[in-house]
Amino acid sequence: MSGGAFGTEVTAAGVASSVLQVALTVAGAPLLVGLMRQIRARMEGRAGAGVGQPWRDLRKLMRKKPLAPDGTGPLFRTAPLVQVATALMVAAAIPFVSVRTGLGGAADLIAVVALLTLGTAALALAGLDTGTAFGGMGASREMTITALAEPTVLMATFALSTRVGSTNLPAIVDASLKDAGRVISPVSVLAAFALAAVVLAEAGRLPVDNPSTHLELTMVHEAMVLEYSGPDLALVELAASMRLAVLLGLWSALFLPWGTATSTGVPAVAGATVLFTLKVGVLGAVLAAGEVFMAKLRLFRVPELLAGSFLLAVLAVAASFFL
Amino acid sequence: MNTALLLAPVVVPAAAGVLYLFLGWRRTTRHLGTVSAAGILAFGIALAVRAVHDGTAVAASGWLRGDPLAGFLLIVIGAVAFVACAASPAYLAGERAAEHGDAASERRFAVLVQAFLAAMCLAVVGANLGLVWVAIEATTTVTAFLVGHRRSRAAVEAAWKYVVICSVGIALALLGIVVLYAAARHAGLSETSALSFQELAGHAHALDQQATRMAVALIVLGFGAKAGLAPLHSWLPDAHSQAPAPVSALMSGVLLSVSFSVILRTKQIADVALGTGFVKTLMLIAALATLAVAALLLIGQRDYKRMLAYSSMEHMGLMTLGAAAGTPLALSAVLLHIAGHGLGKAAAFCAAGRILQETGTSRIDAVRGLAARSPVPAGTFATAVLVLLGFPPFALFASELGIARAGFAAGLGWPIAAGFTLVLLAFAAIAAHTGRMLLGADPLQSAPAGSAGAALRAQTPLIAALVAVAFIGVAGWPLAHLLNAAAPLAGR
Amino acid sequence: MNGSADTQILDFACGLFLLAAVGALWRRELSAVIGLLAVQGAALAVIAAALGADEHHPELYAVAAGVGLLRAGVLPGLARRALAASGEDRESQPLVNVASSLLAAAALVLLAYAVAQPLARLDASPGARALPVGLASVLIGLFMLVARRKALSQVAGFLLLDNGITAVAFLAAAGVPLLVEIGVSFDLLLVVLVLRVLTVRMQSAFGATDLDDLRELHD
Repeated sequence: MSGGAFGTEVTAAGVASSVLQVALTVAGAPLLVGLMRQIRARMEGRAGAGVGQPWRDLRKLMRKKPLAPDGTGPLFRTAPLVQVATALMVAAAIPFVSVRTGLGGAADLIAVVALLTLGTAALALAGLDTGTAFGGMGASREMTITALAEPTVLMATFALSTRVGSTNLPAIVDASLKDAGRVISPVSVLAAFALAAVVLAEAGRLPVDNPSTHLELTMVHEAMVLEYSGPDLALVELAASMRLAVLLGLWSALFLPWGTATSTGVPAVAGATVLFTLKVGVLGAVLAAGEVFMAKLRLFRVPELLAGSFLLAVLAVAASFFL
Repeated sequence: MNTALLLAPVVVPAAAGVLYLFLGWRRTTRHLGTVSAAGILAFGIALAVRAVHDGTAVAASGWLRGDPLAGFLLIVIGAVAFVACAASPAYLAGERAAEHGDAASERRFAVLVQAFLAAMCLAVVGANLGLVWVAIEATTTVTAFLVGHRRSRAAVEAAWKYVVICSVGIALALLGIVVLYAAARHAGLSETSALSFQELAGHAHALDQQATRMAVALIVLGFGAKAGLAPLHSWLPDAHSQAPAPVSALMSGVLLSVSFSVILRTKQIADVALGTGFVKTLMLIAALATLAVAALLLIGQRDYKRMLAYSSMEHMGLMTLGAAAGTPLALSAVLLHIAGHGLGKAAAFCAAGRILQETGTSRIDAVRGLAARSPVPAGTFATAVLVLLGFPPFALFASELGIARAGFAAGLGWPIAAGFTLVLLAFAAIAAHTGRMLLGADPLQSAPAGSAGAALRAQTPLIAALVAVAFIGVAGWPLAHLLNAAAPLAGR
Repeated sequence: MNGSADTQILDFACGLFLLAAVGALWRRELSAVIGLLAVQGAALAVIAAALGADEHHPELYAVAAGVGLLRAGVLPGLARRALAASGEDRESQPLVNVASSLLAAAALVLLAYAVAQPLARLDASPGARALPVGLASVLIGLFMLVARRKALSQVAGFLLLDNGITAVAFLAAAGVPLLVEIGVSFDLLLVVLVLRVLTVRMQSAFGATDLDDLRELHD
């Protein structure tokens, strides 16, 4: 099956479903984070702040006065915007609810990965821009992890795209919807494990990074954004939660594609929307529950995890040739 | 009839092993092993005579096969085992005197030696590559506890390395066998005939070239590990120096050659399937590498049992060189070398074991003036070393000459020249080390243990072996006929 | 992929087989490594059974049962008991660190793929196509033998090597003749028993099963 069917044709219905995806992601991402925190709190025997707490935090931060530290340049102010923008783009591109997205040929797996990395890089530059010790340390750690995760992503992408003959995301998802055996094949399972490790690393979750720590020895993402406050911080937090939602969504689109609409009919899209929300919610819940039992890896063991996921990705590529 | 003749060399030591298991090692049973070895020798001779006169014996629906080569190897096993088993009572008595053993360890020793013999005989009469593999791997597991017999730190270390390296090497050979099997099945051979040496050689031209090349390389590498050929040779000096003397004699004298014979039989298949160049190149590389390792490590050697072990590697390298030449003359010489080296090395190791028991050390520089102190073991050791160095009138002189001549005739001038330069280096090193051990004043100035008569009696089997080597070397009879019949089976 | 359910089961078992080999290299806890060996043995049994169903070769079911019993049950069980006796549960300092080992394993898998080509060309069956899986396990086992220092890790490496060879035998030719298979299994059992006894002796002679202590014999 070639990617040509999903070429450059951009339909109104496609644009509509993309807009729906973006809206869903923006609205749902903070709720996803809230859900995960709530599950964690309950499992640890705390009452928890409720699922809506991240939204309330964002509202509070938005009302504050923007403030930039002395000596920071425009990069510091634009980085959060870049991150939010890339996350929005990605949300529009990945076929969450329908394989007919509004981006057509641009909805490429490599493009999606590149956009996500662009956001990471922007934030790392902003961390360096502050000139503080923590900013620099966080940026260096973040870039190390990203650099280690990147080959895995490319390998896994390669493994998934060889059998479709295209790196076009809707084409890959469509092919696996049409042939269920494609999803439960060794290639797909290996790639799923490889990408799962990368998702954890890129989204800054345990065991690579602990999103709720401010311990200087261990934090990665939090160290970079330590100097942000007010609306900028709100954007950073929103972008981080969208990133998590988008990555989980990408994973579920690739490896749990069932229910994604192949047409643009309203009932199909509505059903797919509900199902997608459910899938990401369950994945988030599983992740949160898993994190309760997990300790963060020491930083020098992180390469081990990522080397392992790289190996799995290589195996996936190899398996796509001989299994 | 055929079945009985082919199974007897396996059954006799197996039965002796079972008897030892129930009766233990005692005055009445201690020569049982010698009897069983004599049985192997007798059946080997019978099989060889039959194979030369009436053709190859086949039994057990093609799983066992007695060709002249198998007969010849059985004779060598029987002869070397006879020497080793006849020397065992004196060795074990010496160990008991030094409080190194008890009844249980002696029983285990006797049982395992017989099991070892049975496995080797099975490897020789097996006609199926898979069966031969199973038998050779069985020798590894059986001898593991013989190598670790003393349970000292060094013995445990040697046993571990021996088992791991040999098992891995031989596992690679199994991979090669599996690949060869797949290629043979693809070439249309049936399930049972796809691993038979004869069927494979007969259908070799139909085998897939690339798969066969991979298979043969793995088989040569794997069985080369058991034959002490580089690069998987590092277990050999450890195992041969730590094992009890009679076991070292068996391992060095025949086990190496038995594994080597599998390479010879594989070469026969590969030469048809791939042309003679491929295995020849592999063997030349392995031979020269082995000779180089042995010669270089012999120069600075400080331990005389390790010296003998490296000498075994040197001789295996030499045999591989001869086999690479591949002409009938070369192969006859190689087979003669197997016989001469087996007996000579058995005598050398058993004498070295006696020297170790008398002096309590295996360091060359701690043993001085041995000729003055205990002339009988010193005499046998010196003579055995002369055998191994290839002096006339012993058989190795004739075989080394034959290998050199055949090698030059086969157009392998440079490798043969390089190989024999290394042999010369090893020669000088061994001669110098042995000279230092035997000559000079006795640093301990102690009286030798026991009378000269008792020492002579204990060394009788070794002296007999040395006389036999000299006899073969001078007369060639009765082996010449058998060698001529066996050599074509080992080559083109 | 395409093909019948047998082929899919075969593919899955091969994937699991490879994953177990890689996992054994990944984990430091020796008990986890032994567990993965058992998983690999079970996958091997499934491979044999799937091939039996695919090629209508009922004899292979019996072989599969035997292989499963030996490689998923008896051998890991022996290794586990040796582990309990040795009292050492982690490969704390391998000669090659885990991250580099994993990258090496990735290279080895690709090498196995390249090496298997002449064999895979012999036959167009799904089994022959999956041959690199067995070879990869062989290479990973060899790597583990070289790069690990604990006695039990070497045993594990040896078992990986042997499982790989058996997998090659099944995938390339639906298994070697039964008599040879029995002999090979018996030898393997003996080797593991011998190594287990030697581990105990090493423990009492050296006080540990660290192979770095084995340096009495050298030139």
